[in-house]
Amino acid sequence: MNLLPDTYHIQQTFSGYCRTGEKVSLPGVAPDRLKHYRRLVFNMINDTMENAFPIAFKHIPTGKWNKMVKDFFAHHACRSYQVWKLPLEFYTYAVENNWEENYALPFLNDLLAFEWAEMEVYNMEDIPAQPFTAAGNWLDTPLVLNPEHQLLSFTYPVHLVAKPKELLRQKGVYFVLLFRDPETGNVEFMDLSPWLAFLTEQLVMGITVRDILDYAPQLNITDTDTLEKDTLAFLQHMQQQHFVLGFQS
Amino acid sequence: MVGLGFRREFAEEMISGEHIRPDFIEFAPENWMNIGGYWKKVLHRVVEKYPVLCHGLSLSIGSPEEPDKEFLQYVKTFLQEYNVQIYSEHLSYSKCDNAHMYDLLPIPFRMDAVKHIAGRIQQVQDFLQRPLVMEIVSYYTPVAAEMSEVDFINEVVKQSGCQLLLDVNNIYVNAFNHQYDAKAFIQQLPLDKVAYIHMAGHEQVAPDLIIDTHGEPIIDPVYDLFEWTIQHLRPVPVLLERDFNIPEMEALQGELTRLKTICHKQWKLKDELVA
Ligand SMILES: [Fe+2]
Repeated sequence: MNLLPDTYHIQQTFSGYCRTGEKVSLPGVAPDRLKHYRRLVFNMINDTMENAFPIAFKHIPTGKWNKMVKDFFAHHACRSYQVWKLPLEFYTYAVENNWEENYALPFLNDLLAFEWAEMEVYNMEDIPAQPFTAAGNWLDTPLVLNPEHQLLSFTYPVHLVAKPKELLRQKGVYFVLLFRDPETGNVEFMDLSPWLAFLTEQLVMGITVRDILDYAPQLNITDTDTLEKDTLAFLQHMQQQHFVLGFQS
Repeated sequence: MVGLGFRREFAEEMISGEHIRPDFIEFAPENWMNIGGYWKKVLHRVVEKYPVLCHGLSLSIGSPEEPDKEFLQYVKTFLQEYNVQIYSEHLSYSKCDNAHMYDLLPIPFRMDAVKHIAGRIQQVQDFLQRPLVMEIVSYYTPVAAEMSEVDFINEVVKQSGCQLLLDVNNIYVNAFNHQYDAKAFIQQLPLDKVAYIHMAGHEQVAPDLIIDTHGEPIIDPVYDLFEWTIQHLRPVPVLLERDFNIPEMEALQGELTRLKTICHKQWKLKDELVA
C-alpha cells in the first residue's frame, strides 16, 4: 500500500463520520459541506431498510426504529457490495445483538426473517428444477417441487398479522412456505400446519407421499383417512400454485 | 451514440422502445449480478435490444484496503456474459475499514493517494483484462488536499494508464461548489483519454451549493458546457443519467434528442458505433 498513515487516517475519519454522524475535525473540510455526506449516506441506508422491512417499519415505534438503523450502520461494517443484500446484515445484526429483548419486541426476529425471506426468494438466482412429468401417482411417485422456495418456522404469526398486540396474543408455532412462481416471478407465501410443513420437508428429500403418511402415527396424527384425502388435496392445490411441478420421471 | 441509464422504474418502456429509444443502455453490474426471477428475464430482454455499457458502484478504487477479489471475479464474469463494451467506475472511495458506504466519498488530493490509486487501477485492469474508465466525481468539500484537483486527476491518469469518464454535469457542479472555471478545468484534463461522457441534472440546495442528484432535467448551462467540451474531444458515447424523480418518457427522449443534435452538429459524424 502506498497510502501514508496520515492519509489513511483521514479517509477513516471521513468514512467514520459518515457512519456515525459524530463530529470530527478534518483539515480543509467545511463542516457545513461535510454534513451532506452523512445525510446522503444515512438516507440511503435508512431507505434501504424501510423498503426491505415495510411491515417492521410501520409497526415499530419511530424512536426505536431510528435507533436500530443508526446503531446498525455505526457499529456494523456493511459487507455486501450489493445494496439489496444489506437487509440480511441488518436482520443478522438484530439477532446477534438481541434486539428482541433490548427493544422489547419479542416478534422482531420473526418479522425481519419473514420480510427478508420475501426479498431473498424474489431476487435469488434461478435454480433449475429436476426433470418431471405431468402424469404420475400422487401416493407412490416422488414429486418434483419448485426448488425456489424457503420453509420457515416462527413463534409469532408475522405472515398473517401485522399489529404488535395481536402478534403477542397469538404466540405459538407457525410454519410458512415461501416460493417464487416460475411464471410471474412473484413470491407467494402460505401458512402451513405442522403436518404440511413436515410433509413439505420430506417431499423435498424425495420421499413419497405414501411413505410420509405411514410416518404420521409417530407424529401422533391418528385420523389417517381424512389425512390422506386432505394431504392430496393440498398437493393438488399446490400444483395449481406452481409449487408442485409434477412427478419424477 | 447517446444512451440512457437503465432503471427498473422504466424498464418496460425501454424494452418496448415506443416512447424512448436510446442508442445504448448503461447500468451498474452490482444491481444486476447474481439475481434471478422476474428481473433476470427483464435484463435478458433489454440486453437483446440494446448495446450495454456498465458503470460500477462498489469497486471503491480509493479504498485503503485491498480490492475485493471475489467481487472482481463476479464483475469479470458478468461483463463477459453480457458482452459489455465499457466498464467505468468512480474516482472516489465507498468502502473503508471494510465497511461499504454505498456513496462516493472524496479522496484526499495527495500524491500518496495518487500512487495508491494508480497501483490499484493497474491491479484491477490486469485482473479484468480491460481498461478502466474512471469518472471524475462531484464532491462537496475537498479533504486535506495537498494538490489541486486537476493535478490529482492528471497524475492518476498518467501513473495508472486509465481512461476518463467526463461527467460534464459533475464538472459544472464542482466548478460551482468550489468556485473555479469549468472550461479552464476541462482544458487542463488529458482530453485524449476521455472515453465516455455522462450528462445529468442536479439540484441547488443553498446559494453556494449544488447537490448532484440525477433527479432533474439537464440545465441549459450544462448543455452549453457539453457543446463546448465535445469540440475538444473525439466522438465517444454520451449517457443521460436519470435516477430519481422520473418524468414521462417523452421528456427523457427530448433530452436524448437534444444531446444527439449537439453531437451531430459538433462531431459532424454519424454515431460512432461502440457495439
Ligand atoms: Fe456520472
